[in-house]
Amino acid sequence: MESLAFKDDVSASSIAAANSLQLIAFSIGEQTYGVEITTVREIRAWNGATPLPNTREFVRGVINLRGTIVPIFDLRARFGEGVTSPTKNHVVVVMSVGDKWVGILVDAVSDILTVSKDDIHNVPEGNSIDTELLNGIVTHDSRMVGLIDLHAVVSGAKMDS
Amino acid sequence: MSDLDDFKATYFDECSELLLELEEQFHAIEDGDRSSNRLNAVFRAIHSIKGGGGAFGFSDLVAFAHAYETLLDHVRDGRLELSEHVATLCIRANDIVADFVAAAKDGVALAPGYGADEKAQFDALTSGNDPDMVGEPMDEFDIDFVPVMVTLNGADETPEPIALAPAAADSFEAAPMAAANRWIIRFTPHSELYARANDPLLLFRELATLGQLEIRTLIDEIPPLADFEPFGVYCSWELTLTSATAGEAQIAEVFEFVDGNCDLEIVSVAAAAEPTDIAETALPSFADLAALELSEEALDAEVEQTGAAAPGLLLSFADIAEAMKPALKAALPVMPTPLKQVVAVPDDLDGDSDRRNGSEDRRNGVQSIRVDLDKIDRVVNMVGELVITQSMLTQQMDETLRTRYQELVRGIEVLAQTTRGLQDSVMAIRAQPVKTVFSRMPRLVRELASKTGKKIRLETIGENTEIDKTIIEQLSDPLTHMIRNSADHGIELPASRSAAGKGETGVIRLSAEQAGGNILIAVEDDGGGINRERVLQVARDRGVVGPDQMLTDEQIDQLIFAPGFSTAAEVSDISGRGVGMDVVLSNIKKIGGSVHVKSWTGKGTRMTLRLPLTLAVLDVMLVKVAGSPYVIPLSSIVETIQCGRANFSRMPTGGQVLQVRGEYVQVVDLAKRFEMSTNTERENRFVVLCEAEGGVKVALIVDDIIGQQQVVIKSLEENFQSIEGIAGGTILGDGNVALIVDVQGLKTATATHKSAA
Repeated sequence: MESLAFKDDVSASSIAAANSLQLIAFSIGEQTYGVEITTVREIRAWNGATPLPNTREFVRGVINLRGTIVPIFDLRARFGEGVTSPTKNHVVVVMSVGDKWVGILVDAVSDILTVSKDDIHNVPEGNSIDTELLNGIVTHDSRMVGLIDLHAVVSGAKMDS
Repeated sequence: MSDLDDFKATYFDECSELLLELEEQFHAIEDGDRSSNRLNAVFRAIHSIKGGGGAFGFSDLVAFAHAYETLLDHVRDGRLELSEHVATLCIRANDIVADFVAAAKDGVALAPGYGADEKAQFDALTSGNDPDMVGEPMDEFDIDFVPVMVTLNGADETPEPIALAPAAADSFEAAPMAAANRWIIRFTPHSELYARANDPLLLFRELATLGQLEIRTLIDEIPPLADFEPFGVYCSWELTLTSATAGEAQIAEVFEFVDGNCDLEIVSVAAAAEPTDIAETALPSFADLAALELSEEALDAEVEQTGAAAPGLLLSFADIAEAMKPALKAALPVMPTPLKQVVAVPDDLDGDSDRRNGSEDRRNGVQSIRVDLDKIDRVVNMVGELVITQSMLTQQMDETLRTRYQELVRGIEVLAQTTRGLQDSVMAIRAQPVKTVFSRMPRLVRELASKTGKKIRLETIGENTEIDKTIIEQLSDPLTHMIRNSADHGIELPASRSAAGKGETGVIRLSAEQAGGNILIAVEDDGGGINRERVLQVARDRGVVGPDQMLTDEQIDQLIFAPGFSTAAEVSDISGRGVGMDVVLSNIKKIGGSVHVKSWTGKGTRMTLRLPLTLAVLDVMLVKVAGSPYVIPLSSIVETIQCGRANFSRMPTGGQVLQVRGEYVQVVDLAKRFEMSTNTERENRFVVLCEAEGGVKVALIVDDIIGQQQVVIKSLEENFQSIEGIAGGTILGDGNVALIVDVQGLKTATATHKSAA
């Protein structure tokens, strides 16, 4: 049984280490959302994008990120709240999703948050868009922060899907 | 990957090079070059393949290669004439060797007895001449050892033939025997000594600085090959140092670093007690002995001179070599390349010209390295970026900038030049001579000639012309089809050639040349030319051409590229299925090239492929649609027309067609097609007439034409997904992304496309 006890020790300590989560928080209108900091590659100011034909309205187009073509998703439009009219003050957060890099267009990046995994709540059933696009909800400074499910955000970009 | 896998991979790499060399050499032999160089090169190639194959235990390959080698050996010795029959057999044998290598590489088993017929033929041919050769044990590698130079004085001593007496006399003057002490050092290294990267030679060199050194290598321990352990230690040395100054401590100091890794015994011998006649016979120093040009005669003379006085004291490197031979044979196939090249020298010593050849080969070996194509592509990509950044910088320069910051401007101009040079150099790395494809064609022509009963000679010109590797890989199929076409349809049978007043032997000329930014590859024959009546008749029968449509000669010639088109009365092995020329066209279009055919009745046909130098850069026309930049590959553009001058007609369903030069062409308004709104007035827009696959035209309507430029193709799928009607993206000089219009995709997709809700 000695080996079993040893195993328990290890898992307990690894849980403690992995229990907190750092998020990059950004805002769309009044609402705050977050993504895990390790997925974020770069934050850059909006500088226009080349529109892609035959894609849904939340695909803003593609930009040149040091020689690589990266698609930009309009998160506001993805939530069905209308297309953003971006200015120079809008921000593109470039993230890696799987083996791809994508950018999401948001109003502003606000903060880096450290939250405990235990504090993540499930998204209440209801609006299908919310449950589809959010992984969970955490509370920070008595504000609600929605955790973005990046895979869900970038899927269904084509016209026919 | 294990070491063995590494070795194997290297072996197979080398095999493919050697097989290519085989083809090349046989092509030259076929052309009448019967010099021994050629045969020796073939022999070397087969020998190397066999040697490596033996090391990895590919016994079928080795057995076959051995029989083949025996045949070649007979031919080389002149015991067997290189007749047509033998040459054909050899070419067949090359194929079989290639098959064996491929089978070994992929780890698949060939049919049992594969190549046995040919092997039997070899044996029959060779046994007729020399029965002894048959049944010669096949693991007998005929490698001779060649002395390798070592000197005790370090690096840059020029080797010179042994000059026995004077050298010895000099040294005796410098260090008179009477005053000298003699030391006998018995040195037996352990394997740890070698494992720690010590080299006895360096120790001996060090010792030699102390006085005059004689070295005797004890090789009695070297076991027979079967028991030979590659990392075993079998040599020990007995060194005799004659020095006026050195003491035991100094000698021991030399061996300080290997202390504990060897057995060392240092014995002082009174100089007086030693018989002086050994020295008086002018025993050569080690340095002399080790010199490279150790001729047979000199060696014999030495042995005669010294052997009597001091039997067994002298052991030349040749002797060691003799003793080491079994070991070397075992080690040879897995040795790293440079070493192998040194050991391979004996093959080159057959004659003077061969030696030149060999040294050339070696030099080539040293000057080239194998690099993963991925690594090169990464460099190509980055250079592409650099080019774009540089052109962006250049675009930013206006007149005020030019006058204010002259130094900066000059710097940017130099940067532009360097960048262009860099781009050329990088592209040159990817470039390969077309020889790699051309060399496969002689055999094809040979086969075709024997199948059709025609006499055909292949001439190749400009085979050193270089093109991008990716393009080369795409060339093999089209060229094969073109040559088949020439052999089957172009060249006439010998009888009809004679009747037409031409030589019986038809000529197919394969040529490559660079013309500006393109490579032109032409397949030319002196046959009957395209039978236009026949082609037109078949085209009419098949409905490719309307009954009342009149075609120019040129247009008729182009018909041979239509899919499924064949004039052959019946399907033969070679051609007639109607696939072929359309494969040529589509393959060449795929890599951004074009095909042109020109025919002279009764005189011949010439088909020319125009290919881009590289695939990494695409020539495009930059256009604007609804304010966004798009590029259209220049290779697919036929012409551009202003909308105001174009002749549009309305179709019953509301669609539009464009009438141009008697043809009705489908119209695609890119703005509508891409669901974007444009404010540009209809009259001011442009029609870009494009040709999609199979010669079908489509008219694209764009807002504006900006100009032509070269772009680097970027993938959209890398971070996103493919989009209908878009072939990819590219980055313009201003850093913005432009999308590449997929003409073919737009054309085919239009029919099914419905406007999105």
